[in-house]
Amino acid sequence: MVSQYMDGELGPDEKKDFDSHIQSCASCREGLEEIRVLHGLFASAERFPAPYGFATRVLANLEEKAGSRLRSLLSIRPLFLRAAQAALALVIMTVGITSGNLLLAERNDLIGQTAVQETFSLDLFQATPPDSIGGIYNTLMRPSHEK
Amino acid sequence: MTFINESDLIERFKKGDPSAFEAILLRHQDRIYNLCRYMLHDPQNAQDAAQDVFLKAYRSLKDFRPDSALYTWLYRIAVNTCLDYMRKLRREAIKREPLTEDVPSDEPFPEQLYESGKITEALQLALQKLPEKLRMAIVLREIEDLSYEEIAEALHASTGTVKSRISRAREQLRHLLRKI
Repeated sequence: MVSQYMDGELGPDEKKDFDSHIQSCASCREGLEEIRVLHGLFASAERFPAPYGFATRVLANLEEKAGSRLRSLLSIRPLFLRAAQAALALVIMTVGITSGNLLLAERNDLIGQTAVQETFSLDLFQATPPDSIGGIYNTLMRPSHEK
Repeated sequence: MTFINESDLIERFKKGDPSAFEAILLRHQDRIYNLCRYMLHDPQNAQDAAQDVFLKAYRSLKDFRPDSALYTWLYRIAVNTCLDYMRKLRREAIKREPLTEDVPSDEPFPEQLYESGKITEALQLALQKLPEKLRMAIVLREIEDLSYEEIAEALHASTGTVKSRISRAREQLRHLLRKI
């Protein structure tokens, strides 16, 4: 009752009764006084504000958790989607290898004849002048009916 | 500065406005941290617990019903979070030092701190010696200045239980701080 009286939690009738009771009860008066002192101590005790940067840390934590949730959602994509991705990668690799081989074969035909001539020539405008090493090589290699 | 109504902030949050939660956080961070600090004593534990309170609040704010005030709803989350922390800390302490029960502690008594004028420290130490449920009730009453009805809501208890816990907590605190 003393505690509720102190906190103003008694109804009007209860409060009136207690007010008259306390006049004649030394024990209740003493109890009330002690609770008042205790209340005064709490009132003068320090209040601790949230530390500097607290809100920023909470928001950063929330963003981090939202990011990891998104990552985990992406990591559980369905099986058919994973199979489709693998098939697409295989098609790209096959097309790349086939077209690369075709281009290489074509290029070999073109450079086959001229490669040797260019290798031994120092003349930038005529691939194989007759007196160069390339020219001599060409003369030797020419079919015999041209002589 | 314009004062934004709390129910407007909640509505904005429910519609997907993230800045509304930031406003709620800034408005309530001090009282939630203060409660955690008086409940858990250690500043780092208090900070971790207060952070957990707001992470939980963020996840469940979409289900908040405006039949109670937002701060009592936050206090309810804080009460449960602090109780979880206290249980966790107790388990860790038992695991760490299972055989030190008989070793006398060099921790000062609350009344010694009170005599040397360290009122906040004396009260904090005395509160640590109270059973958790009594501590929670008296902190909500004396530090956070909640009414019995609000405390009952935060603690999920009847007002009769709250009256009894506050009265018992005061009795024990008077005993712990004998000199008052």
